[in-house]
Amino acid sequence: MRQAGAYSGLLCGGVSGRTGPHSLPLARIKKIMKKSGEDVKMISGEAPIIFSKACELFIQELTRRSWIMAIQGKRRTLHKEDLASAVIATDIFDFLITLVSNSDSHETTSAIMEVETVDFS
Amino acid sequence: MDDRGNGGNGMERLLPIANVGRLMKQILPENAKISKEAKETMQECVSEFISFVTSEASEKCRKERRKTVNGDDICWALATLGFDDYAQPITRYLHRYRDLEERPNNISPHQHKDRA
Repeated sequence: MRQAGAYSGLLCGGVSGRTGPHSLPLARIKKIMKKSGEDVKMISGEAPIIFSKACELFIQELTRRSWIMAIQGKRRTLHKEDLASAVIATDIFDFLITLVSNSDSHETTSAIMEVETVDFS
Repeated sequence: MDDRGNGGNGMERLLPIANVGRLMKQILPENAKISKEAKETMQECVSEFISFVTSEASEKCRKERRKTVNGDDICWALATLGFDDYAQPITRYLHRYRDLEERPNNISPHQHKDRA
């Protein structure tokens, strides 16, 4: 597994400096990548590093959008339903709809109806 | 793919909740709280995101008869799947990483000393 070395200090000193070179464990990312399909045979050393950054951006975006939902519900605690609402309201998160609807189908249905009034553009 | 909650190795398909929770917290106001369930849901979403993008990237490699998924494939997959906002900063990140990796002489003597 490729180690970050000199690069990490230069590129990551700002946000993830305190937690080390990367905020997410590269070996675990690689495992998850391998499990995504039969086709995935070899993964270059840089791919998990790239994903570490992409996942940060993803987590930030989904958290931000979910927080908007919580605020609208006049709450300061982020709940699972807020993530579900944010997923439903965002086109590029369509691949997550099944995942967030699994155990909460009733709440999710009413969330779909409410969310139509939210404009994220 | 539905192995959710199956078997003792269930946790290996998720990123650690501490790391995920920390990243969520970083972007929220000081007084915000995050329920445990929300963090768990985020863990699942991130793993799904990784699988989703990786599948797209690996399909591209298969079509082009390449065996190794590299950083460019990930960037391409991100853009293709609609994550344009990520694709640009990630591409810059990737290029900076490659520039640094190609020039090992840039490692300062101080760091050499640390590695001894």
